Amino acid sequence: MMKLRQDLVLRKVGDDYIMVDPSQGMVDLSKVHTLNETAAWLWEQLVDKEVNAAYIAELLCERYEVSQEKAAQDAESLIQEFEKAGLLEA
Amino acid sequence: MEANTTPELTSHYYEIADLQLELRFPARLNLNDILPSFVGFRGEKRNGTPAAVVIFQEEEVPSEEEWGALRSDISLVWGDNFRFYEQENAFVTLIKHTVKDKQWMMKSAKDFSESRIYGKADDARMGEFVSWLLMVVFGQVGLQHRLILIHASVIAYQQRQGIAFLGKSGTGKSTHSRLWLQHIPNTELLNDDNPVVRLEEDGKAMIYGTPWSGKTPCYKNKCVELKGFVRLAQAPLNRFTRKKGVESLVAVLPSCTALRWNKDLFNAMTNTLSQLVEQVNVGYLECLPDAEAAKTSYSALFEE
Repeated sequence: MMKLRQDLVLRKVGDDYIMVDPSQGMVDLSKVHTLNETAAWLWEQLVDKEVNAAYIAELLCERYEVSQEKAAQDAESLIQEFEKAGLLEA
Repeated sequence: MEANTTPELTSHYYEIADLQLELRFPARLNLNDILPSFVGFRGEKRNGTPAAVVIFQEEEVPSEEEWGALRSDISLVWGDNFRFYEQENAFVTLIKHTVKDKQWMMKSAKDFSESRIYGKADDARMGEFVSWLLMVVFGQVGLQHRLILIHASVIAYQQRQGIAFLGKSGTGKSTHSRLWLQHIPNTELLNDDNPVVRLEEDGKAMIYGTPWSGKTPCYKNKCVELKGFVRLAQAPLNRFTRKKGVESLVAVLPSCTALRWNKDLFNAMTNTLSQLVEQVNVGYLECLPDAEAAKTSYSALFEE
């Protein structure tokens, strides 16, 4: 079961939603992830929950005027983005 | 150890950026001689517990296998002559030396509220090492009090407002401060390497001088309101670019001190920093080492 990484804290700085990722390597270079408003809202909804496409699609349908098909696509790509950026953990 | 070999310890109190440090050192050692840059920061014992207690143990440095997991060997703020190790209930900071007898070691509680320094009091470099270890302690303890120790050269303008110039070593932070001193009236150097930024209760950002200032002896126990952070980059022209939101955070983050593998301390730092960058001006200055560069950053911060 995939979850959001618990060590990442979502913050709003100015108009941006960001998370500072203290990279665990030996070199002191932290990464900063930026989320758009929808992704940030979804992040907050998903804290401590299982990250799965069906649930994300449901959240999107509740909040936005969007077809179920489009919501399902968006949910899939969001999970892929999160995974690629290393924001998920088992 | 036999009881009569334990030297009597004397407590010394210091106030840095309004945070109290207590040093317990053998009574025979003259701390003002060992730590001359700290003399202006001496304070009285306050009610309540100091933010950090640091005890000097004139003992052998424990052997290598006891140090724990190696965590970091370089830092933009701290240079490269040391190692950090993590143990279950402690952090170990080691100042390396090829001769084992000349190594210095500090063992700190995970929140750095208490540390023990191990080394030889007859080491000619004792003051330098103790000062540096105290900077490590202060940097981490401060995070829990909305303070961030940063790597910067700081100018105070009209004794009221501070500008912190950021950049990797060799970028020209000190040079840019000098240019302000020469070409902008009413300016003063507050600190040349390791000032502390503090987010006050009312949300105001302040910047403080410290006993640490790199190669420049500028140890001022005073503070001014922080007007802005300016990250410098050498360029064939002078140009200031204002930054907002995530870009402002990214501009300042590399100059901040936090042990990033300690989640609590790191989160405390990013919390404070995300609020700070909303309070003050943040920008990049591409610059030449000339008078025009100082005038460019001055007018970007004070005339717009």
